[in-house]
Amino acid sequence: MLGYLVHRILIMIPTLIAISIVIFTIINLPPGDYFSTYIAELRSSGEAADLAKIHFLQAQYGFDRPLWEQYLYWVAGFLRGDMGYSFAYNLPVNQVVGDRLFMTFLVSFTTILFTYLVAFPIGVYSATHQYSWTDHALTLLGFLGLATPSFLLALVLLYLANVYFGISIGGLMDPQYINQPWTLAKAFSVAAHLWIPVVVIGTAGTASMIRRLRANLLDELQKQYVVTARAKGLHPFKLLFKYPLRMALNPFISDIGSLLPHVISGAAIVSVVMSLPTTGPMLLDALRSQDMYLAGSFLMFMAFLTVIGVFVSDLALAALDPRIRLQAGRRR
Amino acid sequence: MLKRVGLAVALLLALFGVPRAELQETLVFQEDVASGRLPKIEDRVPNDPEVAEFETTGMPGGELRMLMGGPKDTRMMVVYSYARLVGYTPSLNLAPDILKSIDVEDGRIFILRLRRGHKWSDGHPFTSEDFRYWFEDVAQNNQLSPLGLPISMLPQGEVPRFEVLDETTVRYSWTRPNPLFLPDLAGPSPLYIYRPSHYLKQFHQKYAEKATLDVLVKQANQRNWAALHNRMDTMYRNDNPNLPSLEPWILKTKPPSDRFVFERNPYYYRIDEAGHQLPYIDRVIFSVADSKIIPAKTGAGESDLQARYLRFDNYTFLKASEQRNDFKVRLWRSGPGSQLALYPNLNVNDEIWHGLVRDLRFRRALSLAVDRHEVNQVIYFGLAIEGQNTVLPQSPLHDPEYRSAWARFDVHEANRLLDLIGLPRRGADSIRQLPDGRPMEIIVENSGESTEQSDVLELIRDSWRRVGVRLFAKPSQLTLFRRRVFSGETLMSIDKGIENGLATAAMSPWEFAPTSQQQLEWPKWGQFYETKGTAGEPPDLPSAIRLKELYEEWLAAASQQEQTRIWHDMLQIWADEVFSIGTVAGVLQPIVVNAKLRNVPEQGIYNWDPGAYFGIYKPDGFWFDLSETRAKSASVDASPSVPR
Repeated sequence: MLGYLVHRILIMIPTLIAISIVIFTIINLPPGDYFSTYIAELRSSGEAADLAKIHFLQAQYGFDRPLWEQYLYWVAGFLRGDMGYSFAYNLPVNQVVGDRLFMTFLVSFTTILFTYLVAFPIGVYSATHQYSWTDHALTLLGFLGLATPSFLLALVLLYLANVYFGISIGGLMDPQYINQPWTLAKAFSVAAHLWIPVVVIGTAGTASMIRRLRANLLDELQKQYVVTARAKGLHPFKLLFKYPLRMALNPFISDIGSLLPHVISGAAIVSVVMSLPTTGPMLLDALRSQDMYLAGSFLMFMAFLTVIGVFVSDLALAALDPRIRLQAGRRR
Repeated sequence: MLKRVGLAVALLLALFGVPRAELQETLVFQEDVASGRLPKIEDRVPNDPEVAEFETTGMPGGELRMLMGGPKDTRMMVVYSYARLVGYTPSLNLAPDILKSIDVEDGRIFILRLRRGHKWSDGHPFTSEDFRYWFEDVAQNNQLSPLGLPISMLPQGEVPRFEVLDETTVRYSWTRPNPLFLPDLAGPSPLYIYRPSHYLKQFHQKYAEKATLDVLVKQANQRNWAALHNRMDTMYRNDNPNLPSLEPWILKTKPPSDRFVFERNPYYYRIDEAGHQLPYIDRVIFSVADSKIIPAKTGAGESDLQARYLRFDNYTFLKASEQRNDFKVRLWRSGPGSQLALYPNLNVNDEIWHGLVRDLRFRRALSLAVDRHEVNQVIYFGLAIEGQNTVLPQSPLHDPEYRSAWARFDVHEANRLLDLIGLPRRGADSIRQLPDGRPMEIIVENSGESTEQSDVLELIRDSWRRVGVRLFAKPSQLTLFRRRVFSGETLMSIDKGIENGLATAAMSPWEFAPTSQQQLEWPKWGQFYETKGTAGEPPDLPSAIRLKELYEEWLAAASQQEQTRIWHDMLQIWADEVFSIGTVAGVLQPIVVNAKLRNVPEQGIYNWDPGAYFGIYKPDGFWFDLSETRAKSASVDASPSVPR
């Protein structure tokens, strides 16, 4: 087991190096750089750019150097904990990202909680009552959530919330609370704004989770040990929760790997539509304006979380399911 | 002209300067003044403050909320505030603003006089040292400014002689006229020829102690002192809350943030006739939201003054929300010479097309085949001005003929011209053929930023079809779009018309001559001029060469008559040659104004330069009229925003 752990940790290093090369290459693929995009953007809105300042920054950040040199500079900074400099914000990347992490975490965590709370009971219910009309109705509901374009739902809910509840459009709190210390009123304002993104992002995710849980559970419910347990008169609830449901959970544990970066990145499109102060819109903007250190470092951070997440989920699976553990042991 | 301005100001001072109303302490500062944290108002405003005249004299107080699309938009505060050494008045004349007066001799010697007792927002005196610091230690320091002095201070490459005459007077002199200097000082993104030297010296190698500076550089995560100095010196970008300023409102929020608070400058140099120090409004608040959601937020009453990110097609929605949220929607004219214009690329690579777009008859025919009336009716509710891409009726240089030249819709004449060139119509769809047998298909590229461009192109496509020309629209991405035009891969592009539709003779006519790579009709000729011949191609059309010569004549012109004559010559050539095909201009810009906000003009021009958007209307004079709601507002003290 220890050898396995060391092996897994060591293999992360080449993975991350490969990812960093891919990220850096892709970010540099479109023609131009941040400054040429910036000049074009200013031009299109009729403004003139301060060429002297731009020239200065280009020279400072080695935009005239070959790509591999820029790459090495970026990676070397990364190892020292310096994630580079965001040109759009005129600040170190750490500060830009750090500012938004908490809100992103709040939105994503609440959303995941919401998805679980909705999807689990429905999934279990529709598996145990397969093909009943309630199963069909709930499944339909889930699919409706999946099929509705989330940005549309977001706009409709924003409008209704503004007209009927007087909640300010977009954002995660009323403007006057931004940058203020946390108070009860501020927390309340956040709660009043939070439900829309949570419902919007959540509904899109529930359907797939319901279907997966239902399918997994149905597989298990037909196995012999369930029939035996039922024949022996075990209480239906205890039977369901103690055995088949636990087996059906495996795919969710392996999901943690992708969950971790998701919690940090948030749902970008919905966040853009709703103008949430999360990292999703920031990343999108950075990619569009070719703010390369901001985009690159943030993607790198997410890649790192994915690698860690996969590692953790593998460990958790091994801990939860003896079969996986045994096989891993046999191979080594 | 400027001599006259100086005279007018002297006259104004004689009229109002001496017996003016007693200065009144601003409410929000009373406590600080009483406790001694802030000097009295007499010691804060300059000895001879600018006395502003407004339609209505206001009451200080209140909070102005605005919506912005990104953290970079903090610069809009500098644009809107429009505190400049010299600035444009609403009638587009230049007048001293921060300066007490300016004397110009022969268009080449400029004597700038500051106001005695004028102070930076931290209370430090604003003197000629601040000008010297910029000229000697910033602009001519090759680490801070690798490019040296800005172009507008180098007429034909000549560096000015700079002299400090006394504590409040400086002089710049050249041996030849420099007509670009004053318009640049008055620009929305101005040429700053002064810096808060007392603050910035701590970041300058020449003044700071090396050890201390090294620590500062390290703390700020910068590479060297020059990078740190440039980071702190953001007068236009306006993202350093510690930088002293002369603006009416000063940034108080440290970025990054989604909400920026600007508070009134206690040392501001303007007062009203009743003796109130301006600005009237205590705080301005920028909330950052995605630009696409801003119309919706504005409609929900979340902005007190908004035009940025609102477009004409938001008008109906905003108008419908007017009642519910107690604001007014006004319509101002926009400033570009044409909302959208087609640019045949004279530097296109394809040889056949290269010859065709240079053919005057071809450009004229395409222009005649655009139904501008239809575009106006279908897309702009008939409220725009139809015609070519040239100066607007509000400009003193306007002549109706410039706008109407080759701008009528005449399919017959267009067909005749195209037949003359020898482009036969063939096939069942009777599309014309190029000399090498290819069908005449024009791909019009755009930056893909708005659906407006595709809508207009759709209409032009139908009318061009009637003269046997097929049009394809190709949306692209902003940077890519410009690159393709620059390299000659693009045959034709659609973009905004000339920026300065409000030009006066004293403003540079650069947009009408091949002077910049950014000009979509002749990018390579522009690049040739910009790079002084090291890149690009020299212009080879006689008319374009003439435009360039005229532009150079304008740069050397000493009198306004001469400038006006040159302008008219250029506009005439521009109209005859149809270098760009204009559609409609003066499209209305919705301006959302809180119903209680006063002194915002009903009718105005919403333009970048000259105009600085709200700038020429001097927002420091905008104020909230709370007389009707004073009783109510006392009870809603919890909400920091102005009660609606």
